[in-house]
Amino acid sequence: MAKKIFLDYKRCIGCKACEVACEMTHGEARIKVFEFPDLFTVPFNCRHCEKAPCLNVCPSGALFRDDDGAVAFDPLKCIGCLMCAVACPFGVPKLDEDNKIMDKCDLCADRRADGLLPACVSACPTEALKYGEINEVLWNREGKIVANLKGSAERGEGEEAYLIL
Amino acid sequence: MTSQSVYSEVMNVAEKLVPVVCPWCSVGCRFYAVSVNGYIRKVEFDYDHPTVNRGRLCPKGVAAYQFINSPDRLKKPLRRVGEKGEGKFEEISWEEAYRIIAEKIHEVKETYGPEALAFLGSEKITFEENYLVHKFSKAVGTNNLDFPGRYCQYSNSPARTKVFGSSAATNPFEDIAKAELVLIWGHNPAETAPVMFGQYLEKAVIDNDVEMIVIDPRSTRGHKYASLHLKPYPGTDLAIALAMLNVIIGEDLYDKEFVQERTAGFEELKEAVKNYTPEWAEKVAGVPAEDIRKIARLVASRRTAFLVNEGMNQHVNGFNLALAIADIVAITGNIGKEGVWSGIFPGAQCGFCAAMTGIAPNKLPTGKLVTDEAARAEVERLWGFPIPDWPGLDLTGMIREAGGRIRMMYIIGGNIAKSAPNSAWVREGLKKLDFLVVQDVFMTDTAKYADVVLPAAAWFEKTGTAISAERRVQRTYKAAEAPGEAKPDWLILVELAKELGLGEYFKYEHPDEILREINSVIPLFKGATPEYLAEHPEGCFFPCTEPGEGTKVLFRNGFKTSDGRAHLVAVDWMEPPETPDEEYPLWLTNFRLVGHWHTGTMTEESPSLQKRWPEEYVMINPADARRFNVRDGDLVKIETRRGEVITRAVVTDHIREGVIAMPWHWKVNFLTLEETHPVTKMAELKAVAARISRVEE
Repeated sequence: MAKKIFLDYKRCIGCKACEVACEMTHGEARIKVFEFPDLFTVPFNCRHCEKAPCLNVCPSGALFRDDDGAVAFDPLKCIGCLMCAVACPFGVPKLDEDNKIMDKCDLCADRRADGLLPACVSACPTEALKYGEINEVLWNREGKIVANLKGSAERGEGEEAYLIL
Repeated sequence: MTSQSVYSEVMNVAEKLVPVVCPWCSVGCRFYAVSVNGYIRKVEFDYDHPTVNRGRLCPKGVAAYQFINSPDRLKKPLRRVGEKGEGKFEEISWEEAYRIIAEKIHEVKETYGPEALAFLGSEKITFEENYLVHKFSKAVGTNNLDFPGRYCQYSNSPARTKVFGSSAATNPFEDIAKAELVLIWGHNPAETAPVMFGQYLEKAVIDNDVEMIVIDPRSTRGHKYASLHLKPYPGTDLAIALAMLNVIIGEDLYDKEFVQERTAGFEELKEAVKNYTPEWAEKVAGVPAEDIRKIARLVASRRTAFLVNEGMNQHVNGFNLALAIADIVAITGNIGKEGVWSGIFPGAQCGFCAAMTGIAPNKLPTGKLVTDEAARAEVERLWGFPIPDWPGLDLTGMIREAGGRIRMMYIIGGNIAKSAPNSAWVREGLKKLDFLVVQDVFMTDTAKYADVVLPAAAWFEKTGTAISAERRVQRTYKAAEAPGEAKPDWLILVELAKELGLGEYFKYEHPDEILREINSVIPLFKGATPEYLAEHPEGCFFPCTEPGEGTKVLFRNGFKTSDGRAHLVAVDWMEPPETPDEEYPLWLTNFRLVGHWHTGTMTEESPSLQKRWPEEYVMINPADARRFNVRDGDLVKIETRRGEVITRAVVTDHIREGVIAMPWHWKVNFLTLEETHPVTKMAELKAVAARISRVEE
C-alpha cells in the first residue's frame, strides 16, 4: 500500500507554507511552489514513483523504499554522484552542497515515525497537498468530482458541467 | 525511535509542546511552540483540538518561531545618546530607566498638565496588556490614548457600530462555507488570511460551487476563483456601493420583511441614493455599469458573505463606504442568521484586544464614553482613582500636536514611523516631542526616535489572551524565556506604576490576575476566565458572559442599537482628498504580501520569510508602462506630494490601467496622505496621486 502526497493544485494559492514547513523540518525546502504569470501556482515535490528510476540507478544503495512506500534515503550511504538526478524524469534530487550528498523529499520519515503527517501537508492551509493511501485519495477526488458533475447537471448547466473536469 | 527522540534522550533536554495562538493575523490559528529549555526550536501543528485552523498554518505561522530567536532582539533598556532618529543608544539598568521615565512623566504633568501625555496600546500585545495600558494612561490622568489600529478597521468599525450597534464579525468563519455568494471587496484573504481562505472560503467556492465576486483594482491568486471581477480606481468604491443601493432599492430587490421589521431610516436612504445610478458610478469608478447591476442583483438574491477589508477601510471616505456597505447588508437581510458573514477583520492577532479594552481617545474599558458621567463613575469605583472626563486626541492628532499640545508619548508595540501616513511628517513630529518612550521587541524605525527604549518580551515569552476576527477569545501560553533583560509589557507597566507611586492600582503578579479583573470590569468577557480558557483551547466567542456561554451568531433577534433596529444611514458621495491630475497622473495604492506582516519588524527577522519575500516593488499596467517608458525590472522613482521612493517595476496585467500599487511593508507610507476623516480620523493610506519615472542605473 503506497502513501503519497497528492497535488490538488487547483486549491493552491501559492502561499509557500509548504516550503517554509519543509525548510523548518529539513533545513532546506525539498518542495517548491512554481509560480506562473497568470496567477496559476503549483507545489511540486518528489513523486515517490512506483517504478522509481532513481532507486534503480543508485550505485551505493543509499536510496530505498520504506514501509510506507516512500523513496527514502540513507545519507550515510550517499556518495553525492547524483545519478538519481540524471535518471529522475522531474529533476527532483538536488545536491546538498554542505554535506556533499543528494537531498530529496523522504515524506518526512521522522515525522511519520512519530505518527505525524509530512510537514508540508500538515501546514498546507488549502489542502492542496493531501497525504494518504494514494488510491483512497484518488477515489475521494473522483467521488467529489462526480458529485459536482451531478449537481451541475441538475442545475441544467449541461455541457459546461464537463468543463470542471 | 526517531532521531529526534534519540536526540532528546541523549542530550537529556526537556522538549515541551506549549499551546500558543499565532502572533500574526487575526484568524486565531493555534499551534504548539516546541520549547527546549526555554528556547523555541520550531513549531508543531495542533491536530489535537477543534481549532479554527484545523491544524493548518500559513508560511508566517510556520516561521513564527524565527524572529523570537533573532540575535537583534532588544535585551537591555536603552537611553538615546545620538540625535533623534540616528539610532545611537547606551545601555542602562531597569531601575534607571524607570526613574528617568517617572521623573519625565511628573515633569510634563506639572509643567503642561496630564493632557500633554499620550499613550499608544497595540494590536500586537495581549488583551491583558492592552487593558493595563488603558488603566495606566487613565491613572496618570490622560485620555490621549489610541493604537495603530486607528489606521486599520476605523472606517468599518465605527460605521457598523452606528448601523448595527456593534462592529464585530456577525458569524463564525464556518458560515462563510455555508454562504451562497462570496463578495470579496478590497480584500485579499488568500494572502492576508490564508488559513481562513483555505479552510472556509475555498470550501464554499471550490467544494460547494459558490460564486465569488471580487472588487479590487488588483488581481491576486485568491481572486482567480472569481466569476466577476470589478477593478475600480482606488478610493472610488463608494460610488459602486451607492449605485448598488440605487439598484437594490430602485429595482425593488431588497428584503421587504427585514427592512420593515428590523431596520429604521429606509425612506431617507432611498431618497439619498436615488441619483447614484450605475452609469454615474461607471464614470467615477471606471467599472461597467452592467457589472454593478449584476452584483447588486446577486447580493440581493443570495445569502452573502461580505469579506471587506483594507481596500475599503483605509480611505478618508472609507467611513461613508463602510456605511453604504452596512446599508446593503441590512436591506438585503444578510445579517442575523446562519450562512452569512460580515464584520471587521483586524489585520493583527490582537486588534480586538486593543479595541475591546477601549483603547481609544474617547472610551472607557467598558466601551462606554469618557464623557458619560455615570459610566465613568462605575469604572472609577472599580479602579479606585479619578478618570479624566475630556475626549483625548486620536493617533494622527497626537502626531499633529507633537511638540505642541503633546509633549510626551509612550508607544508600546507600534511602529508609527512606518505605519502612519506620510512617514517624513510623522518622523518630524516624533523629533518635536520633549520625550518619547518606545517599548518593543526590536529597534524599530520609531524606537530610533525614542529617548528611552524598553526591551519587551515577545509573544511566545508570556501568557495572555488573544481575540480573533471571528470573536474567539483564546489563551496563549509562555513557551520561552525572554532574551537578556527583556520583560513582558504588562510587567513593565506594573513596575513603572510602582515607581510613579501608583503601585496600589497595579498589584498583579501574573496575567491571570489581570484577566480576572477584566472578567469583572468588562461584562462581554465575564465568562472568559483563565480557568475556562485553559480547559477550552478553542476559546469562546465573545460576548461570553458566563463560562461556557459564547455567542456564535450575532443579532439573531435584535441589533445593539437603542431600539434594536439597524439604523440605516443615508450616505452621500465623498470625493477622495487627492485625485490624479496632470502633475501626478496615476493612482497609487498598496497591499500586503503573504510573507510579511505590518512594517516587517518581525517578518524581516524571519529568515524563511525574508528570503522568499525579500523586497518591495511597484506593479504597473503594460499600457501605463508604455506611456511612462518603464520596462519590467527597471529601477523607478515613485513620487507624490509627500515624498519619493525608488524601487523596481513589475509590469503586469494584474493591476488596472491608471493605477500603480506597492506592498506596504517597506516605504510606501512616505507617499501617503495624513489628511483624516472628520469623524473616524482615518487617514488616506490607499489612494493618492502619484507619478513614476525611470531611474538611470
